[in-house]
Order: sequence, then C-alpha cells, then structure tokens
Amino acid sequence: MPPSDVAMKAADPRAASRELEKIRLAGAGKRFMVRGGELEALRPADLDVRPREFVALVGPSGCGKSTILNMVAGLLQPSEGAVFYDGQPVTAINRAVGYMTQKDTLLPWRSAADNIRISLELKCRSVSRGDAEARVMQMIDLVGLKGFERHYPSELSGGMRKRVALARTLIYEPETLLMDEPFGALDAQLKLLLLDQLQELTTLRRMTVMFVTHDLGEAITLADRVVVFSARPGRIRKIRDIDLPRPRDVFKVRFTEAFAKLHEELWDELKDEVGKGTDV
Amino acid sequence: MSASLERSNAKPATLDGGPSAAAGTQVMLWQIGVGIALLAGWEAVGHGSSGEWTSRPSLIAVQLLAWFEGPIYQHIATTAIEMIVGLMIGTACGTVAGLLLGRSKLLSVVLRPIIVAFYSVPLVALAPLFIMFFGLDMLPKIILVTIVVFFLLFFNTFAGAGEVDDDLISVVELMGSTPRENFQKVVAPACMVWIIGGVKIALPFALVGATTGEMLAARRGLGFLLSDAAAQFNMTGLYAALFILMLLGLAVSEASVRMERYCLRWRHAAE
Repeated sequence: MPPSDVAMKAADPRAASRELEKIRLAGAGKRFMVRGGELEALRPADLDVRPREFVALVGPSGCGKSTILNMVAGLLQPSEGAVFYDGQPVTAINRAVGYMTQKDTLLPWRSAADNIRISLELKCRSVSRGDAEARVMQMIDLVGLKGFERHYPSELSGGMRKRVALARTLIYEPETLLMDEPFGALDAQLKLLLLDQLQELTTLRRMTVMFVTHDLGEAITLADRVVVFSARPGRIRKIRDIDLPRPRDVFKVRFTEAFAKLHEELWDELKDEVGKGTDV
Repeated sequence: MSASLERSNAKPATLDGGPSAAAGTQVMLWQIGVGIALLAGWEAVGHGSSGEWTSRPSLIAVQLLAWFEGPIYQHIATTAIEMIVGLMIGTACGTVAGLLLGRSKLLSVVLRPIIVAFYSVPLVALAPLFIMFFGLDMLPKIILVTIVVFFLLFFNTFAGAGEVDDDLISVVELMGSTPRENFQKVVAPACMVWIIGGVKIALPFALVGATTGEMLAARRGLGFLLSDAAAQFNMTGLYAALFILMLLGLAVSEASVRMERYCLRWRHAAE
C-alpha cells in the first residue's frame, strides 16, 4: 500500500518481466467460530508473492500468520475473499507447496530416514529405491543428522525433530515452501547454520518461500520482503522490502548498519503490537 | 593424567552392575523356594487327608509324564489350532471392519449399533448354538474364538481409526498422496497401536473361548480333557489339565509381550 513500496516493486528486475504472482491473497480473511462466538483471526488481507520471492511474515501470536499459510496450502478456506496460486483459486489441498507446520507432524512409527523419505515413496513421484536412498542420505547430511538415521522421533530432541521435518519438506523440492516458525526450538548456533542452508537451498532450487517467524532478525536475514502483522484481529500493518545485497552472510549480516536500520524501523512497527498479542 | 583418573573412577560404576544382578538371582531363589514350599504343603495336605479332592503334586507329575508319552499332544494341538485359526480370522475381520467403520461416517452410523447389539449377547452363551450348528469338532470352537476376537479387535481398531491425527494425513496429502496412500502410509500404521493392543487383549480370550467350547462338547482339546477328568472325578487328571492350561496361558502372554515389543518398537525405543 505505501507508495514507496509500489515504486520499489516496479524497479525490481524480477517484477519487470511481468511474471504472474505465484501467490495472491485477494481480500482473504478468516473468521472462526469459537465457543458460540465469532473470532476474527485475519482481517481481509491483500498480498502478492512473486515467483522465487522469499517473504517473511512477522507479528504477535494469534495474528493470523499461520492462518495465511493454511489457506495457501488449501487446508483452510477463507471466510471472505480468495487465495490464488498460479492464478488459480485454491479450493482444495495445494500439492504445489511443501508445508512445514509449527506442530510436530513426524510419523512416530517411522525412523528419521524413513520420515524424510516418505514423499519419494508416493506414486506421483516414482523415484527408484536407490535414488531415494541417495537423496535421503544427502538430506540427512545437509541437516546434520548423520548417525541418527535409524532413530525414531521419540528418541530425538525437539531440535532434531525440527530438522527431520525440514529435510522431509525440502527433499521433494516443492516449488513453494511454507514454513511456520521452523526454527523456533533450536539453539542460536544451529539456527544460524540452518538459516544459511535454507537460504542456499531455496536460491539454488529457485523456490518461492513464505516464512512465518517471531524473530525479526531471522526475517530480515532471509527475506526479500517482511510483512508485519498487527495483533488480533490480524491485519497487515506494513510491508517492507529488504534490499540487503545477496547472497547474505547469515552469520555477519546482522552486524551491518543497514541491517540495524531495518531492524529498528520494523521493530518500531512491531513493538506496539507485541504487547497486544494473545494466544487462544 | 586426568583421563586415567576418570577411567579409574569409572571402574566402580561398572562394578555396580554386579550387586543388582546378584539381587536378581536372590529374588529368583526366593521365588523357587516359595514355589517348592507351596508344592510341599500341597503334598503334605494330600497325604494327611485321603487325597480324594486335593490329589498330590507327585501324582499329578506322574499323570503329566504319562500324558507326555503321547496322548496329550493331540489335545494341545487341537486347542492351539482352534485359537490360532480363530485369532487370524477374527483379527483380520475385526481390523478391517474397525478401519472401515472408523473412517466412514455413514458405515459407522448404520452398522455400529448393530454390532454393539450383537456384542451385548454374552459370547460364551453362543457356544451351544454353534455346537448344534457345526458339530463336535473344531469348527464351532474356531467360530467362537473368531467372534470373541472379532469384537475385541473391532472396538479397538474403531477407536484407533477415529483417533488418527488429521494433520498427519494433511502432511502426506500435500506431498501428493492418493487416498489409498493416505490409508497405507498413515491411517493403517497409526491404528497399529490399537490393533496390537486389541490382539494383546484377545489372546487370553481366545484361549478362554477355545477351552469353553471344548468343555461343552468335544472329542479332543484341553477343555475336553478337563471336563472329561471332572466327569470321572479324576482329580489328578483335572489338576494336570489345569497345569497344562496354565503353561499354555503363560506361553500366550509371553507371545503377546514379544509381539507387542516387536511391532511397536518405535514406541519403546526411547525407554
């Protein structure tokens, strides 16, 4: 909405080719029935995500960030407005996206390696057994789980389970990645390592990403654009382009002046809202 | 230097395993002792009275040895086959019915009350009916076991199928799974806990079903052995048959523990 934003979008070389937006929220809002009353989780919101763009959504708890991901994935239908993917309204499960939910959804009866492999076992992919095995090993290496392939989720720490879930989502290289606080439970060091790998992988595989986080620093480090939400009922308060040069060094970028400026500017937007955030 | 110190510190810790193993042996010695004392007491009571009702462990042992010369095996085999065949059919049908009704609202609304109504009949009371229909051989007992097992598996699997976490299904659906793959990859394995639980409960009931059927009317089987001995006031034979049933019961419960440990190893992994 801010005019400066529109100008920047036009200046973006990727926008210049007039590609269709990958994801478009057109006045998409969501209300839930809770204990007989109606709860507005998300005010009707407009947001376009371009192909191969990395968009981070930040805001207080319960501001509808996860609701947006659920609607893009087709797990929820908007109460008003519509969500488009590749120009088509999303009315059923959206199989073009890989979704790493906040909730732990590993299959407890499968070992780490078997959990990571599951997408390659499906008929729609028909990957040969040897091929799948090689890709699983490569993925396990990438997320640093070597030696834990045969462990069941119940034997892994919270952080390790997050990494298995990440590997499981990345292995089939969906063209769009939806991530809901993927690194919330990790220690700071490991988080930086995985942010680095995520940045490399999504650039390499030309993925479009919507990334929900509480951590403003994480958002600025990774994103092309950061969307700040207000407290419930969730509403887009600000969309800010992050013009830090790429590739970014996730370990050092947070100590640059440009980063500090962005952080301060966005924190000013966010801080009023954080206090108002409520968990349902 | 410090490393060698640590190693010398570690030694007593490994020796700590010793006393606990010794405690285990001690417990076992006590258990054997109590067992012998009970048998000796029984023997003494048997000697003191006429022994008409109590028999004596020594007589029972002689009877058991005589049986194991030959005639007992066909009885054990009969009961075991009735149990195993009944378990297999009952588990298969109960699981399939539980999964179908558990995952289909319509089927469950229509059929579940009917199944519940049938379950309200005390199942053992059906035994005379089956014997009239199917005669004195193994078939009526197999049917009785099948029905008992079916209900236990049905109710357990039904509960499990309703409990499957929809988020787990969404995960594979987003990856592009077909409904059939949802079932294979998520619903069926998720119900495994409940199915195994059902089998575990069903195993001893299968033994009860098989022996009950045999006691009512049969030509072979441990239940027949038991009721036959009772009919002849052969107390020694009665106790000997009970002893073999106890052994079979122990074998069944050991089998169920092993089966559960194997099938649900992902659950025990963390322990």
